[in-house]
Amino acid sequence: MSQGRFAAGFLVPGGLWLVLLFAIPLGIVLAISFGTTDDLGNTIYGWYPENYEQVFDPVFLPVLARSVGFALATVVLCLLIGYPVAYYIAIFGGRWKHVLVAMVVLPFFVNYLVRTYAWIAMLGDEGVVNGVIGGDIKFINTPWAVIGGLVYGYLVFMILPVYAALDRMDPALIEAGKDLYGGPWETFRNVTWPHTVQGVLAGTVLVFLPAVGDFVAAQLLGGPDSYMVGNLIQQQFFAAENWPFGAALTTVMMAFLFVWMVLYLRSAAREVAAE
Amino acid sequence: MIDGRIDRRGLLVAGAGIALAGCGVGDSGGGSKEEVEKPIAKKVDGDLVYFNWAEYIDPAVIKSFEKRYGVKVRETYFDSMSAMMSKLRSGIEYDLIFPTAEYVQRLIQGNQVRKIDRDKLKNADLVYPTFQAPWYDDGSEHTTPYTMYATGLGYRVDNVPDMTGSWRDLGEADTGGKAFMLDDFQEGIGMANQVNGHELNAADDEALEQAKDYLISVKPNLRGFSSDTITTMTSGNANIQHLWNGDIVNIRNQVDNPEDFKFQKCKEGIPVGSDTLAIPVNAKHPGTALLFIEHLLEPENAARNVAWIGYPMPYEGGATESFEGLVKDDPSINVTVDDLENGEQFENLGRENRRAWDRTWTEVKAS
Repeated sequence: MSQGRFAAGFLVPGGLWLVLLFAIPLGIVLAISFGTTDDLGNTIYGWYPENYEQVFDPVFLPVLARSVGFALATVVLCLLIGYPVAYYIAIFGGRWKHVLVAMVVLPFFVNYLVRTYAWIAMLGDEGVVNGVIGGDIKFINTPWAVIGGLVYGYLVFMILPVYAALDRMDPALIEAGKDLYGGPWETFRNVTWPHTVQGVLAGTVLVFLPAVGDFVAAQLLGGPDSYMVGNLIQQQFFAAENWPFGAALTTVMMAFLFVWMVLYLRSAAREVAAE
Repeated sequence: MIDGRIDRRGLLVAGAGIALAGCGVGDSGGGSKEEVEKPIAKKVDGDLVYFNWAEYIDPAVIKSFEKRYGVKVRETYFDSMSAMMSKLRSGIEYDLIFPTAEYVQRLIQGNQVRKIDRDKLKNADLVYPTFQAPWYDDGSEHTTPYTMYATGLGYRVDNVPDMTGSWRDLGEADTGGKAFMLDDFQEGIGMANQVNGHELNAADDEALEQAKDYLISVKPNLRGFSSDTITTMTSGNANIQHLWNGDIVNIRNQVDNPEDFKFQKCKEGIPVGSDTLAIPVNAKHPGTALLFIEHLLEPENAARNVAWIGYPMPYEGGATESFEGLVKDDPSINVTVDDLENGEQFENLGRENRRAWDRTWTEVKAS
């Protein structure tokens, strides 16, 4: 057996996995998105492109805009919180580095839904936080709670890539920056930041993509004006019994996210080529 | 336009059959008319494979059934009607399912549930007259009712003392910014229809335009939309919550001051819904299933289930007395035979009307 064929053999399990659990389901979503339903909500396949016309109905615009807004706010907050955390662990973690990373990751082994429910218990009107500060602050059922839930839910996806980028960077570079009379800010701007910008981009994509399609945070922590596109899609599948429209929304959503993914991958590839 | 179902077998060849069945698309998993009609012999014909919502039966009632007939009850659970339907479509064999009334109509139309000979069922005559021939199952030939629920407003009488008996309290009462509407388009628009003097299931343009305006006018008084009513009320986050009457029973069981938690049936109308018991057409042990239904109808067992679930059941005798006992300090939580006569039940809207309702709801939520 030639080495090439041997190597190709390794692709079989992964390839099968992708075909069975990714390509075929995706194909089914596409097929449903062009279908319709009978009177009782059962999906019927066919050619009904009007599902896609419906996606661009102006009624949904505020929902889409809100989802993107919430997701962008989430990215910014994750960056502001996650970068210093990653920086601290990578630069000052020393022999505790791995323990600290493990501590960051550990809560994320708990299901996102469960963690969001924990937030309700923590932040409720008669919850732990109000009890400790002796206040009567309405934390939950606000847009801030939704963004907070999203930040908490996806923060680790920002911390890890930034940490990896910082960890790869030679600490001697920072010293070199200082030797060249760079202040802390100038050293950061001219040395550290350029070395971590790819990590930040990766984190941005990894946080933005799930956040923009999230429905759990808005459903459990949101107020009357927190409806997101994920909730709209969920409504089509679970309540409206309009799977074709739900599938069309999903497809458009995926196409939108795909564009961002491609932009990111191209920028990452350029970076690798430059090195 | 091309119209038509894809042949399931054809897709199996393409290798997509399993995935497709899992997605709940494909044929209905129904049987033939003969299979639906075939009489069921009421005798033990194996262990019971049972498919229900979780926590929707007193475990002691299952235990006593196992002991009585020397069989095992193999329990599995669904978390939504669509999940139940896709499992059925994918061909999994259950002996007993618990569909909501609206889904019964679909199951019957798809030849997916067996006929149940009511004359064979002891205590079937205890079922309230309204449910002897319900809208979803002509002559109650395929199903036996299980629980029922009325929708109204749950409220904290200590924080909102001035309730007026109207749905309008949700949007107008001073709740300190703590009012929740059910996150359920059917309940939301149904309520609006009743406020506007339309039938519960109205779907004409005028009714829906008014429903939209009304619901948007309620939003400023709302803290949010939530169907997790037990959490919102027990956590103190809600002073008024649009909810189902059984939930208030459960809420009162969980708080230190149950006397402060009240239920208001609203004067504009009482939406009533119900769950049922049915035997799928591919059941392997329909005889045991029939015995189990009979077991649930037995007044003593029904009383225990009511006490355990917190929802009323439309049976005379034990079930009714049990629920009256649960709500004796606030009888308004009860659903009486009179309420049922005057109540309005959610019906299947059909495709176009359902979409119109959904669109209205989306407009409300997106606004």
